[in-house]
Amino acid sequence: MLALQILANGLMLGGLYACIAAGFSLVWGVLNVINILHGSLIVLGAYLAFFAYTLWGIHPFASIVIAGTLFFALGYLVQSALINRVIGAPVLITLTLTFGLDLMLANAMIVGFKADFRKLTLDPPLGSIALGEVVMPVDRLLAMALALALTGLLYLLLAHSRIGRAIVAVRMDREAAALMGVDVRRVYAITFGLGTLMAGAAGPLLAMIFPISPLTGPAYLGKAFVVCVLGGLGSVPAVIVGGIVLGVVESFAALWFGPEHAVTVSFALLIAFLIFRPTGLLGKKGYE
Amino acid sequence: MKKAFVAAFAAIGATLGLTLAAGAAAQEAIRIGAPLPITGPLAPEAAKQKRGYDLWAELVNKAGGVKVGDKRHKVEIVYMDYQSNTPRAVQGAEKLITQDKVQFLFAPFGSGATKAASSVAERYRIPMIAVTASSEQVYDQGYKYLFGTFTPNQTLTEPISDIVKKRVSGAIRVAILARNDLFPLAIAQELEKSAKKRGIDVVYFEKYAIGTLDHASALSQIKAAAPNWIFATGYTNDLVLMRKQMADLQVEAPVVTMIAAPAYQEFIDASGKLAENISSASWWHPAVRYQGKTIFGSTENFVKLFEAKYKSTPDYVEASAAVSGALFQLAIERAGALDPVKVRDALAQTDLTTFWGPVRFGPNGQITSLEPPVFQIQGGKPIVVHPAPIAQGELKLGVK
Repeated sequence: MLALQILANGLMLGGLYACIAAGFSLVWGVLNVINILHGSLIVLGAYLAFFAYTLWGIHPFASIVIAGTLFFALGYLVQSALINRVIGAPVLITLTLTFGLDLMLANAMIVGFKADFRKLTLDPPLGSIALGEVVMPVDRLLAMALALALTGLLYLLLAHSRIGRAIVAVRMDREAAALMGVDVRRVYAITFGLGTLMAGAAGPLLAMIFPISPLTGPAYLGKAFVVCVLGGLGSVPAVIVGGIVLGVVESFAALWFGPEHAVTVSFALLIAFLIFRPTGLLGKKGYE
Repeated sequence: MKKAFVAAFAAIGATLGLTLAAGAAAQEAIRIGAPLPITGPLAPEAAKQKRGYDLWAELVNKAGGVKVGDKRHKVEIVYMDYQSNTPRAVQGAEKLITQDKVQFLFAPFGSGATKAASSVAERYRIPMIAVTASSEQVYDQGYKYLFGTFTPNQTLTEPISDIVKKRVSGAIRVAILARNDLFPLAIAQELEKSAKKRGIDVVYFEKYAIGTLDHASALSQIKAAAPNWIFATGYTNDLVLMRKQMADLQVEAPVVTMIAAPAYQEFIDASGKLAENISSASWWHPAVRYQGKTIFGSTENFVKLFEAKYKSTPDYVEASAAVSGALFQLAIERAGALDPVKVRDALAQTDLTTFWGPVRFGPNGQITSLEPPVFQIQGGKPIVVHPAPIAQGELKLGVK
């Protein structure tokens, strides 16, 4: 019975991780930009939901849509105004740029929102569903559904829409895509916008689950990294697989080796993947 | 070229002159060094200590300063940022003494850094008050210049164990989940001892890593062990998340004790109704009531002064920092001199009630007179349930 509960815990945690990593994986896979800003963007989305709920009573579900829309615009602007200027440079340069932007955003949030921990507590709470003796919190189930929905939509977008085909084309061969008349810079801006949208949409959900503080960004970012390495880059469902593998491994590691070793085991797995399977479980060659 | 040189020399000369003048003026003030982790992961703790010191310094200076003989000296706190890096705290303490010429020291944050820095204070014979060091190992070096305002950790776990033993009927089974970090782990281990001493069955004892984002596995195991007392340690973010996950996974018990988060209003605000009936213990709480004889007066008055300045309620770190300043002040006034040795002796003889509680130091410098309060969140407010003279209510059972 305990094992079943732990499995359920792991799957739901995996859904959360997939939710955290979705936009990060897209930006890394398509733009080859390691977006250090991603964690802080999630936190910003969480704050948006927190204030919308406490000040105006706007439900976090509505905030998901609001934050998603606003954040798409924000991401589009950041990419076209800043990151596009150095997009051709080696990955370290774009990493440094997003790192700098992250410092600015995190510190601006400390100044604006204070470093206190806050929490979006719904009244009444969403509660949990019990299947036999296995208990599942509704907010985590929703996070999993959101991760599935976002990645599903992204998959459809990439596979069937004109802009999606352009994004894939640019990732495969930038020069060739440009010769075919694709506006590469615009495609980059849209892709980054989509990645930011996913961070913004994850924020309100995570606000109901985790305490919110300007300094939680790096924790989310760390998980996003691991999910991308485990799942692999260049494939949309990889982020779901990576998230769930990480969630389940951490949950059972906590059961078998004690909670303080959950992260030890997941990082050991990360190292093993980097050595033996750098493309991850579903990643494509050339994207690692 | 020549002109440029002359200008440069003039500028240097002017700067030196200004520095000397500033030095001369500062001679008048009592300089107290405060090495703090102003940046880095411990920054929030540094901000708390700083608020306590600043409140005291402001109050003293407004009253004209500390009385030494028939003269009054203003107080100046000299801050130094050790960037949450303990070796740098030791260097910082030394720099404060040798270069900034401070006459007294407040210790850095926590037991580890305090112990490291105490050797510097001892070597230079500078009295140092530890504001946030509870471990007895900090005070076991035979040092004479170190004083501390926190009692040993077991003074937090013994009273709550007694209360649970008395209030919960039948065999008691406790599950302990601790943050794998200096203080949170030490207090959990201390509770394990307190429990075993009373024949309480410890059915689960695990640690979780710093930065853990998920407690579901541990809580599922705890639920399976069916304890009637859950004891968890950690800071605000850890315990807000843990309490939320307890509710998610329907983990319930007659008594749930958490240290240290519930001492902070932040925890109560963030947890909302889930904070109800959570019990805790800390060295001090704004709900305690003492008629203090320092510049701050009673506990109520201290809380009022603090809230007026910072628009927030003081916690035990902020209170400890403030009372430490007041203790220096009293010792200096009683010594009637700024001589570090005389002030040290006066500190050792401290015996009075403050808003913090009664203050007397043992031979090792650690406070012996304090009885830390046990409190419980009832109706969204912390209610002191122990010690008896300042209790405001009884421990209520049932955390759902």
